[in-house]
Amino acid sequence: MKETIEKRVVGLFLLMLVILAYVAWSSLHNIKENIKSNAWVNHTHAVIIHAGDILSYLHAGDAALRTFLITGDDRDRQGYRVAYSTMVENWTEAEALTRQSEEEKALHERFLDLSLLISNRMEIAGTMARGRAQGGLDFVRQQFNSHPDVESISKIERAVANIEKTENGLLKERDEQQHLQAQATKTTVYTGLGVNFVLLALVVWLMRDDLIARRKAAQALEEANAMLEAKVQERTAELLKSNQSLKQENLERRWSYQALDHQLRYNQLIINSIAELVFVISRALNISRVNPAVVHATNWEPQELISQSIERVLQFPPDPVGGASQNPLTAAMREGRQLLDRPANLLARSGRIIPVYYTLIPLHDQDKIVGGVVTVRMQLSAQQQRQS
Amino acid sequence: MKKHILSIDDEADIRELLQEVLTMKGYRVSTAADPGQAKKIIKEDPPQLIIMDFQIEEGDGFVLIEEIKRLGPDIPVLLLTGAVFDRAVVRDTIEKKVTSYLDKTASLSMIVSEVERLLGDAPTSSERL
Repeated sequence: MKETIEKRVVGLFLLMLVILAYVAWSSLHNIKENIKSNAWVNHTHAVIIHAGDILSYLHAGDAALRTFLITGDDRDRQGYRVAYSTMVENWTEAEALTRQSEEEKALHERFLDLSLLISNRMEIAGTMARGRAQGGLDFVRQQFNSHPDVESISKIERAVANIEKTENGLLKERDEQQHLQAQATKTTVYTGLGVNFVLLALVVWLMRDDLIARRKAAQALEEANAMLEAKVQERTAELLKSNQSLKQENLERRWSYQALDHQLRYNQLIINSIAELVFVISRALNISRVNPAVVHATNWEPQELISQSIERVLQFPPDPVGGASQNPLTAAMREGRQLLDRPANLLARSGRIIPVYYTLIPLHDQDKIVGGVVTVRMQLSAQQQRQS
Repeated sequence: MKKHILSIDDEADIRELLQEVLTMKGYRVSTAADPGQAKKIIKEDPPQLIIMDFQIEEGDGFVLIEEIKRLGPDIPVLLLTGAVFDRAVVRDTIEKKVTSYLDKTASLSMIVSEVERLLGDAPTSSERL
């Protein structure tokens, strides 16, 4: 779209340039033609003037000749001689002016015809002048009466008038041509300028159209940018929210860990602070945990006791009712019963046997027995009992 | 202006976590590990809420509660502890001494909700929607 408009604008400008070039060429051509016409007009006027002068000097020469013919005075000869001589000069110049041009060939022929008339006239004049000098006025009168072409001046006048008329006709024709040429030049210039203005208006219209399109495109781009910006902001907000949520979760996890750790340590402290020996056992009577009092009293290390049966450190007396010694914890755990202050023997790591009382508390988690706690206290000797 | 909360606990991790989460929620949080620090903050920059544990360095939680009541009788106290296990005991004794009680095993969001409730910042039902 953009490229098409640019091409159109450039094309229109080129067309305008071509039109302007044509107008300039046409104007220059017409100016040259005008100059040529002016030269021709000047030339024609020169021919007309020379033709007019031929007639004027002929009249002047005739007048001077008549004066000489009347007076017979040699001093009056100079007047007609000069006048005739100037007349011939004018004819020669006019003939020369019309000799070159093809257009003036007919005119040139007329000048040649005119030369015959002039020659005749000058010959008659010479005869008259010579006769006056030799035969006096009678001879002159005789010549006037006998010579049929003595008044040939009227022929010359007609020939010159014809020449002038022809030349004036040509001048008029050329004038009309010049007028037409000027009109054509004017029309060409006005038309060229008019077309150029129209083209310029078209270019302006195209450019305005292009500008509107560009403005619309810019607006669309701006809207797209705004939309993108909004989306980015929305996404950023989502990410921020997600990040906040993750942070919250992380904090929550850390808090749970801290709270549990705190709770565990607190519980551990409570258990560790009990002076009695504490054994935490599983349902199968295996030791899962002991407190420091156990280590202190038996010298067993926790790792030597954990996962071992409690019978490793606690020996139960034989059943007074029936035969062999039986671990009373097994039945109590199965039934979920407590055993309180029962006698037993604690076996220290050194092999020493310490008489103790034990208590079993089964651990209930809702409806299930998940293990038990056995607490052991020393049996006091008679002396110890007295002291306590 | 941000509301001021004082967190009293002997464990640095707990103090830091509470400070972090409450700061995120837009509160200004001061922390104290012992009664001396706590009393100094209460005197110099009285908080709008105190969150405390029983277990504190160089002191006793119950005694500190009494001192706080004396220094700032209107300051609400949220007891956050893992030391008391019996709900009946909590209901009958501890909750009478403090404004609110939460077990330390409570979630952080629950603690934050309780803080907002005590400070009057809890979202209304329409805001929750």
